[in-house]
Amino acid sequence: MEPVRTNEIMAVAGARELRDGETVVVGLGLPQVACVLARRTHAPGLTALLEIGVVNTNPIDTPVGLADSRIFHGATCWSGFLDILGMNLHRGVVDVGFLGALEIDRFGNINTTLLKDDTGKTKFFNGSAGGNDVASLAKRVIVIMRHEKRKLPAAVAHITSPGFAGGKSRAELGLRGGGPHRIITDMAVLGFHPETRQAMIVSVHPGIRVEQVRENTGFPLLDAESVPVTPEPASEELRLLREEIDPKRVYLG
Amino acid sequence: MASKLKTAAEVVATIPDGAHLALGGFAIARNVLAVVHELIRQRKCDLTLSQCVMGLDTDLLVGAGLVRRLMVGGGSLDRFGLVQCVNRARETGEVESLDYTSLSICFSYLAGALGISFIPIKSMMASDVLDRLEHGPGRDLVRRMNCPFTGEPYLLLKAIQPDVSLVHVQVADEQGNCQIHGPRWENEEQAKAAQRIVIIAEEIAPTSLFQQHPTRTIIPAHRVEAVIHQPYGAHPTSVFSCYDYDSEHLKLYVEHARTREGVKRYIDEFILGTRSHAEYIEKAGGTRMIEKLKADPVLGY
Repeated sequence: MEPVRTNEIMAVAGARELRDGETVVVGLGLPQVACVLARRTHAPGLTALLEIGVVNTNPIDTPVGLADSRIFHGATCWSGFLDILGMNLHRGVVDVGFLGALEIDRFGNINTTLLKDDTGKTKFFNGSAGGNDVASLAKRVIVIMRHEKRKLPAAVAHITSPGFAGGKSRAELGLRGGGPHRIITDMAVLGFHPETRQAMIVSVHPGIRVEQVRENTGFPLLDAESVPVTPEPASEELRLLREEIDPKRVYLG
Repeated sequence: MASKLKTAAEVVATIPDGAHLALGGFAIARNVLAVVHELIRQRKCDLTLSQCVMGLDTDLLVGAGLVRRLMVGGGSLDRFGLVQCVNRARETGEVESLDYTSLSICFSYLAGALGISFIPIKSMMASDVLDRLEHGPGRDLVRRMNCPFTGEPYLLLKAIQPDVSLVHVQVADEQGNCQIHGPRWENEEQAKAAQRIVIIAEEIAPTSLFQQHPTRTIIPAHRVEAVIHQPYGAHPTSVFSCYDYDSEHLKLYVEHARTREGVKRYIDEFILGTRSHAEYIEKAGGTRMIEKLKADPVLGY
């Protein structure tokens, strides 16, 4: 069998964070792949919601984004924002929000709105869309992204989607959702310390050294007592990913 | 009953400068481009645009210099790229951008649609999204309050009631009854919040179709002011069950939109250089293009 690739480790790590019977709001890309894998393995009762109004999509062709008709295919229900982000997320029944990020900081605050370059000039990006809503209201948030120092600053340039802003608890911030739970990168899985609420290493991927993870992070990372290795994907998980879920490797790379 | 069928040109002529238009598109799906092109041809300016997730429709109007203010949750052209004209205009300050979130725009429309002047929400708190609104041009649109029953802190959003809502649908009758096939993002509450609802339909069907499937009517005729019959009216964005998005044309647009001069060239060629949507479709590839994008009846794309 072909050697395991980093995106496959990330997709599997994402899938394993999901439990059977949970309700997930998910965006496109590796989060979607992780959801499909979870449903095909340990979580057949998982419900995946797309913010535009799609429940349990079953695409047969790879979509380029949330607005691609391919992602509407095989759904059990088509609705809209009011149903998904309102009557599910705001109502409080969404267990997991799967988000992307331009930047995420040591308290799990996510930025998808703007960056400032060295001259102080501001560059704008996608903005929140449903990101802030998910970060505010989901019971826990998982982020999948590349591990780069510039993407993991001590403090994000703009808090689009709050984590533990200012190191405060969610209750202090007046936010109903539980906040950030995991950051899954191409080097490690990070979590958040239960008391200080700062990012910490949960596991490091096979072949990666802890020093590499630290060098590529813009803030000091708290260690766990000892740092385990992220479990390798099982051969059945790899087979599902490679042969059925993303055979053209659009998201797996 | 008199038909409400109008052309895009006739409808746009009744839209004043400075109007607040709610755009019914989402990124690269069901964008109201037939009307956007006509707004550009008639040079309607000083517009306020609102939308949960901006797409090509917004980017074009901003690129044409016709927009003063945005009230939006976010925006992109999916994998084709960012809304470059919008981002450039935010950077220079040419457009005042009130950046909300998807749910908060949706709730603001819902309040407007229900005729209530504000709506409480638990999103946006403890974020810079709220900070930028509260300390910027959105300061008159948000308030804070503790729930009078539970004491829990809430954010209050002022209702949004656009002047005109523009929605592209798959099928309508001549009176304005219409169906949306596939997900409908915020279109229902968005349309019903507006003073005037304008529908752009791929197909016109008799009223008896709506009487056979009344559950599928998303906006009933009595709320609709005008129906524009425009096949391929959302090109190059997709319309589920009718046609796919046009990758080539989207890439062409994104390439042009990288610069002001580029987007001007695109507008000159495809919009100002054509007098109607039919001419635009011809210029964008005509019958060959249409055949390539036409949806498979089972898959919907």
